[in-house]
Amino acid sequence: MTKKFVAILIAVIISLSLMISASAYTYAYIADSADKLTYGEEEELEVLAEGIESTYGVCIMVGIVDETNGTSDNEYAQKIYTDNTDNENGLILVHNDSESTYGVFTSGNAKEILDDEAVNEMRDAYNSNESYYGGISDYYKTAESLLASGETASDNAETITTDDDTSDEKDGVGIIWIPVSLGIGLLIGFLIINSIASKNKSVYMQKNATVYTRPGSMIITGSADHFLYSNVERREKPKQENKN
Amino acid sequence: MSTILEQKCPCCGGAVEFNTGVQKLKCPFCDTEFDITAMPEDTANQVEQISWNSQGSQWGAGETDGMSVYDCNSCGGEIVADSTTGATTCPYCGNQVVMKGQFSGALRPDLVIPFKLDKKAAKEALKKHISTKKFVPKSFLADNRLEEIKGVYVPHWLFTCDAIGNANYKATKVKKWSDENYDYTETSYFDIYRSGNIGFDNIPVDGSTKVPDDLMESVEPFDLSQAVDFNIAYLAGYLADKYDVTAEESMPRANERIRQSIIDSFKETVKGYDEVENQSANMNVANGLYKYALYPVWLLNTKWNGENFTFAMNGQTGKFVGNIPTDKKAVTKASLLLGAGIGALIYGLLWLIELF
Repeated sequence: MTKKFVAILIAVIISLSLMISASAYTYAYIADSADKLTYGEEEELEVLAEGIESTYGVCIMVGIVDETNGTSDNEYAQKIYTDNTDNENGLILVHNDSESTYGVFTSGNAKEILDDEAVNEMRDAYNSNESYYGGISDYYKTAESLLASGETASDNAETITTDDDTSDEKDGVGIIWIPVSLGIGLLIGFLIINSIASKNKSVYMQKNATVYTRPGSMIITGSADHFLYSNVERREKPKQENKN
Repeated sequence: MSTILEQKCPCCGGAVEFNTGVQKLKCPFCDTEFDITAMPEDTANQVEQISWNSQGSQWGAGETDGMSVYDCNSCGGEIVADSTTGATTCPYCGNQVVMKGQFSGALRPDLVIPFKLDKKAAKEALKKHISTKKFVPKSFLADNRLEEIKGVYVPHWLFTCDAIGNANYKATKVKKWSDENYDYTETSYFDIYRSGNIGFDNIPVDGSTKVPDDLMESVEPFDLSQAVDFNIAYLAGYLADKYDVTAEESMPRANERIRQSIIDSFKETVKGYDEVENQSANMNVANGLYKYALYPVWLLNTKWNGENFTFAMNGQTGKFVGNIPTDKKAVTKASLLLGAGIGALIYGLLWLIELF
């Protein structure tokens, strides 16, 4: 039984760990369809962006494209962002290289810190360097400093707010999830223990007599498969909310 | 008038028993071994017919129904047994006795599967069976009387036939696809028909009302290739019953299993569908034959909290079955503890997810 317990617990841990790993899944921060960066450069920039996201929780992306498939630069920026990340807080700057135009998409909390002025500052940093790699690198550094200053300001603001505000946020998660977790745990525990206890019953009537079938004696003399009808069910896909 | 047979050792006169290790009759007193065929089955000098005149009070009408009285050839003690008992032990001298009349004429079994596993193996199997189960009440473990496990030849009817049948099934195929806005699920329904023949050999049906049918079906299957022609000497040292359920009364159970086998076997030929569900089935049997056989089973009856628990082991293959009571308090306690542990684990993991 101990082995079964361990196996079941491992299964639960693995499935919950998968939830964690799914939530921590890293996305491509650099969308270089214009092919202006080498593989090595892209990798380095991805590391920079990943560091920013893990520190500030904000996904900063950049795209270099040759065309926007008939959509506006901003719409195309939004499409690239939503296609590549689930992080609701973030920003993408898309550079349409053939037209020398820019598209920007900002979502979630990023809008508060990275306002229009900050976006202009980041775009200037991108344009200030002659190479694409250097430009994007400067873009990320600027974004990081803006986010750092924004966080400091936010921290200062928080010190002025009352303690109740912060404790409410923490308690909200705990109070809701404690009974839910306990309920799920008890249900799983009840099912596991009862399935083990049910093994104490080993007396049953046999369902059939297939074990006494004479080997090779089964001959199918008639066989027919008739189609009757079919049903088609259509279910609308859940749509992602537009953060803009 | 009842007759009994004792297999006596020609060397020392002791009662011989069938030994599972050597598959021969063996005298437990002088260790002499004998082939089954060497012991005459119908030895006149070993069979005595004694008639008794009743004195004193008389049995009332119907009181002796289902009861038989035998006299032990060794000590003269009176053995009162169920009318279906075929072999037992004398309660006064411990000699193994066989009620010969229970297995003569039309009651003679066609086949017997000799015991391959002895009492020691049965006791070990019972201990293992109980030790592998969880939440068994401690008092049940303490009260178990392993010594009372008994080897019993249980009468079975074996049915052989060619079954002709047909079955209808409802089958479904599910296809899923998506476009930009919708998920689609198409479920197609089919009517499936199969007919054919299947041959069955020696489907056993319990011929005794003393042993529960589900217990006997749970220790199946027996390997009938190891069965031998019935010889009363195989019963020495074991309990045995003659059937008290006739072949005709056992046929419905055999037919029920054959019908379900047709449904299950034909269903396996229905391929390419996501779900297949039986709707109806018809069956006829041809070339039906039945045989009478004795199957070797180790049995232990025990009582706990006023409830009977019976354990059985296939005396040929060693398959052991038997329901064991569950300690409800222990189950509740373990469910709560494990549930609380899992709940804490879930909460901890959710907290970690929130943190990162």
